Amino acid sequence: MEKIDYTDTGQFCSGHVACAGCAEALAMRVILNEVGTDAVGVVVPSCTAVILGGHPMSSAKIPFLHGTLESAAASAAGVKRALRAMGRDDTTVLCLAGDGGTYDIGLQSLSSAAERNEDILYVCFDNEGYMNTGGQKSSSTPKSATTGSTPLGKTTRKKNLIEILAAHRIPYIATVSPSHLNDMKAKVKKAKGMRGMKVIIVLIPCLPGWGVADNAAVKTARLAVESGVFPLIEVEDGLTYKVAQDEKKHPLDDYLAQQKRYRHLKDDDRAELQADVDASWSRLIGLAAM
Amino acid sequence: MNEQLSPLWTHLSSENRLTGTWRAALPNYQDQPSPCLGACPVNGRIATWIGQVKNGDIHGAFVTLADNNPFPAIAGRICHHPCETACNRVEHDETVGICSLERFVGDAALDQGWAFPAPEEERAQSVAIIGGGPAGLSAAYQLRRQGYAVTLFEASGQLGGLMRHGIPSYRLDRAVLDGEVNRIAAMGIDIRLNAEVMDEAALERLRAEHDAVFLATGASRPKRLPTLDYDQDWIVDSADFLAAPQDEQIARTGAHVVVIGGGSAAMDVARTCRRLGRAVTVLTLEPEGRLPAQKVELDEGAEEGIGFVSAAMLHSASFEGESVTAHCIRVEFQPGAQRGQFRADPVPGSEFTLNADTIIPAIGQDADLARWAELLDANGPVIATAPGWQTSAPGLFAGGDVASMERFVTEAVGMGKEAAHAIAGFLQTGIAAPVPEIAPQVGYDRINPAYQEDHARTHQPVADVVARLASFDEVQEPLTEAQARKEASRCFSCGTCIFCDNCYFYCPDMAITKLEDGGYSVKTDYCKGCGLCVAECPTGSIHMQEDEAR
Ligand SMILES: Cc1cc2nc3c(=O)[nH]c(=O)nc-3n(C[C@H](O)[C@H](O)[C@H](O)COP(=O)(O)OP(=O)(O)OC[C@H]3O[C@@H](n4cnc5c(N)ncnc54)[C@H](O)[C@@H]3O)c2cc1C
Ligand SMILES: Cc1ncc(C[n+]2csc(CCOP(=O)(O)OP(=O)(O)O)c2C)c(N)n1
Ligand code: SF4
Ligand code: SF4
Ligand code: SF4
Ligand SMILES: [Mg+2]
Repeated sequence: MEKIDYTDTGQFCSGHVACAGCAEALAMRVILNEVGTDAVGVVVPSCTAVILGGHPMSSAKIPFLHGTLESAAASAAGVKRALRAMGRDDTTVLCLAGDGGTYDIGLQSLSSAAERNEDILYVCFDNEGYMNTGGQKSSSTPKSATTGSTPLGKTTRKKNLIEILAAHRIPYIATVSPSHLNDMKAKVKKAKGMRGMKVIIVLIPCLPGWGVADNAAVKTARLAVESGVFPLIEVEDGLTYKVAQDEKKHPLDDYLAQQKRYRHLKDDDRAELQADVDASWSRLIGLAAM
Repeated sequence: MNEQLSPLWTHLSSENRLTGTWRAALPNYQDQPSPCLGACPVNGRIATWIGQVKNGDIHGAFVTLADNNPFPAIAGRICHHPCETACNRVEHDETVGICSLERFVGDAALDQGWAFPAPEEERAQSVAIIGGGPAGLSAAYQLRRQGYAVTLFEASGQLGGLMRHGIPSYRLDRAVLDGEVNRIAAMGIDIRLNAEVMDEAALERLRAEHDAVFLATGASRPKRLPTLDYDQDWIVDSADFLAAPQDEQIARTGAHVVVIGGGSAAMDVARTCRRLGRAVTVLTLEPEGRLPAQKVELDEGAEEGIGFVSAAMLHSASFEGESVTAHCIRVEFQPGAQRGQFRADPVPGSEFTLNADTIIPAIGQDADLARWAELLDANGPVIATAPGWQTSAPGLFAGGDVASMERFVTEAVGMGKEAAHAIAGFLQTGIAAPVPEIAPQVGYDRINPAYQEDHARTHQPVADVVARLASFDEVQEPLTEAQARKEASRCFSCGTCIFCDNCYFYCPDMAITKLEDGGYSVKTDYCKGCGLCVAECPTGSIHMQEDEAR
């Protein structure tokens, strides 16, 4: 088996308040340790902000600016420019936001920063809903999933943020999963070494929000990757697609079965979702072959 | 106590918020036996030694193996391998080739000439062992390791028991048998060959001269079919036949041999006859698919051209004109509650005959108990024993085929080991040490399949049939080192920590510490009890346990 091989230098600390078993904390651990000490963080309202801790406590060892939900990318761009003015060109600016803050409320500022190719590392913890406020739908919530505000299941599809970002032709876009920590580490490292706008989307199975068991976040994330619903990809300069795996290893059902938010689905619904995954997969493989 | 964390850059969340208070259950690191260990007749630490093979530590694997079984090269060839049936990997794809790996390690040990170390201390007490088969040799080995003086009495001129006088060389090369037997003899055991313990008086003398005695005389008296006249020269006894040199085997068999029986011994007779150029028909009471011989023996026998007539019984046989006519009848076969028990009801009107030159019944063996009947409880088919293989006579223990109906080499080795353990307890405290209990074993549900190698099993190559029939050379060929390590990598290491660090890295609360000595500990101040470490452990070496402190 492939051993996990990053070094934890203690950049993310015990005593944080993520739910027991939360994969977001797990991902933050990898990302903060890989980003290292010469970094300044920006975070906007989200589970992430709660996990990092309200003033005066912090579970991260780099300083964090807590911004507004609309302005994650803009705030990070500002911090970067200030650092540059101070001669700290090489300091990494790490911007952390949820999917609500990325796909919805902060999309405008994200798009603007992308268009200007700001030199920031933007990480979206995508738990497919507004989760720290109790679990409402976002435009990242997938079709048919129930949330507090879509009790019968969402009727529209998940917004394709990757293609939106690719259209901006930014240097780097990647998806990562808490089930694949070496891949996550390698992509953070690669992004950190690049200039310009980098966006990494992390899939986070929300335990209460998705109805996943306390010990099953990693398993669920792994099934998301292996069923092809959340493939691990990289897009460079908006044009060059790379997919980590060459086939889907699980039927979508294996993934859906881990989660209560899909519990209401009938066989037909599941078949429809499977067909959608298959179509998206073919499209992605087509893009990667180009 | 948790270790002190370094100060935070800003304010101290670690010092101020002890999230361990959230917890209801705490992970507990505890290696647990694998199901293969539980099924193994010698309870070998299979997960450990296969891990050593995987890591290329073949000598280490040999040492681990030899702890419970001094015959890895033999067992790797002829063990009935219940471990492979119990293997958790069966639920994933196919068993790990445990036996082929054991053979690989055993062969390497013989090739390299690895010897057993001398005992750490010599003890004054002595033990007499009667019978130089696997049970006797296993007990001799285990007692000698602990420094006891061991004298072994063997009736025949060579050690090995049925491994030599029963199992043919195409399944167990004699150089391998000699190598593993001599390695035990070299530990300083006083071996007396051609030294049959004739009667109770002789046994009593041994009891007087030694501090304990282990009786392991096996069961080598063939059961006889009442309707056959064994004085006819066209009826050959299977035990005599297998023990005989090849020229004698040729002299005693005609062109067409009918073998009676469906067990290992019958297959050995039949396949030996095929190698002598005889046409062979095997007649079995059991229907096809229910024959007691190992599947591999049946498959290989069929490849070698044995004809099977199943679910039928020999009624009588007579010499008529040029050849023998075997009168047979079909039967309705029903297995009984225990191994070896069955009912076979003849089907009226289904009589038929087989033509033969020689008939070799091979329907099982009985232990010769009559000579001990005054001294021991020998009313059943075997010597009666209490736990720890104690007979009714104090200081006298019995194991192997003479004391059990579990008639396999490794069962005999396991009994020899357990008896040695009991004897050592008896010699040290006056009370036979009980057989250690095996803890509950790790099930497949505790294994995380995501971290397991996905490649299919690598089987041992098998010699081609034409070559097989032309000699008594081994049929099964060994794995190469590369193949063995590849096969070893399929093992889940059930219940045996492989120090992969998954638990450490998958804890979202940084609540696991890697210890200097390679182990792990849980920081109780921070562990929230989520169970992610347990879920992502590939091997099932941690489990959640209710946290009594909460
Ligand atoms: C043909 C055949 C094939 C088999 N194939 C397999 C197989 O493939 N796999 C497997 O696991 N098992 C197999 N078995 C079963 C296996 O061989 C036995 O279960 C095993 O050998 C029993 O070991 P033991 O030490 O109890 O007895 P034995 O192997 O019978 O050894 C007993 C020894 O005691 C000696 N002895 C007897 N009486 C005295 C006395 N009074 N004084 C001194 N010495 C005495 C005998 O000469 C003999 O050497 C086979 C058996 C047969 C007959
Ligand atoms: C403009 C604005 N609207 C609403 C809120 C309230 N609010 C705080 S966090 C949050 C949910 C954010 O969801 P997401 O970004 O997906 O993060 P998650 O909680 O799921 O981690 C909301 C709606 C806010 N802070 N600002
Ligand atoms: S996978 Fe390995 S440790 Fe587990 S039962 Fe099979 S051989 Fe034994
Ligand atoms: S993963 Fe960490 S917090 Fe969760 S049970 Fe294991 S040690 Fe405790
Ligand atoms: S996860 Fe790996 S290191 Fe941790 S207990 Fe299991 S096998 Fe050992
Ligand atoms: Mg969210």
